[in-house]
Amino acid sequence: MSSDAAPSDAELIVAVLGRDDRRAFTRLVERHQSRVRTVLRRLTKGDMALADDLAQETFVLAWRNLRSFRFEARFSTWIYRIAFNAWQSEARKRREVAMDLDEDSPPGGSESFEEMPDIVSRMDLERAMAELSDGERAAISACYYADLSHEEASEALGMPLGTVKTHILRAKAKLRARLAMKETT
Amino acid sequence: MSTNATDKLDRILRRDAAEELRDAGFSARVMSALPAPQPRRAAGLNPVLVTGSAALGGLLAVLFAPSEANVVQGMIDLFQRQVLTPAAYASIGLSATLLVSAVLLAREN
Repeated sequence: MSSDAAPSDAELIVAVLGRDDRRAFTRLVERHQSRVRTVLRRLTKGDMALADDLAQETFVLAWRNLRSFRFEARFSTWIYRIAFNAWQSEARKRREVAMDLDEDSPPGGSESFEEMPDIVSRMDLERAMAELSDGERAAISACYYADLSHEEASEALGMPLGTVKTHILRAKAKLRARLAMKETT
Repeated sequence: MSTNATDKLDRILRRDAAEELRDAGFSARVMSALPAPQPRRAAGLNPVLVTGSAALGGLLAVLFAPSEANVVQGMIDLFQRQVLTPAAYASIGLSATLLVSAVLLAREN
């Protein structure tokens, strides 16, 4: 019997909903803060202060809306959806965020970059990510950093599944090109 | 596109995503930004309040109603389909109060 096993997300949520248990919510925040903040850092092109502000807003909104959480979904999927919404709202305040496909952008998948380095510094990756379009960065953040499936990413980002897949292809082609270029310079 | 390059990029992205960010007071900041806890009434208090209010309201209605607004008479009137008498009104009012109390209690449970 593993009585001291860590409680699952669902058990912690039940404790929050049933007893207004703030310690249980603290554990949820501690458990998910790293991924949520990392996702938001990538989305905000490395703006750590803004990313942390949005992450804080994300968890406060999660607390306020926890009753609307459906237990058939993972808590992480749900919280990333809130994080993406917070980022989109913030981006809209600053300028119009373009999540649609950029027709001028070259389609991915045709290039071949054999010179991809094995190790890439965080700064180089951050710079390469910053050059992606909003939609491409959001799709990469959702599928790699938030570890969502394409279907989950489509739902979380509010964009069609085909658009998510195209964004991923194009983003990866751009990242390969950018990182390979970095390697050769 | 070579599979090798794809695998490499996947590895780079996943490695970057897996790096753990130190909390560094973030969770504490979130918890201090949450709305203050709402004072909660004792769990058994609500049914007592609802039932008590309904009983008090019913009692006052019976005590202060005009003599012709007798609840029993009202029930008789209703059974005899005399809906427009004062007693019938009093009975309908009292029944409605009890019904609302029952619904509130059911929702509470």
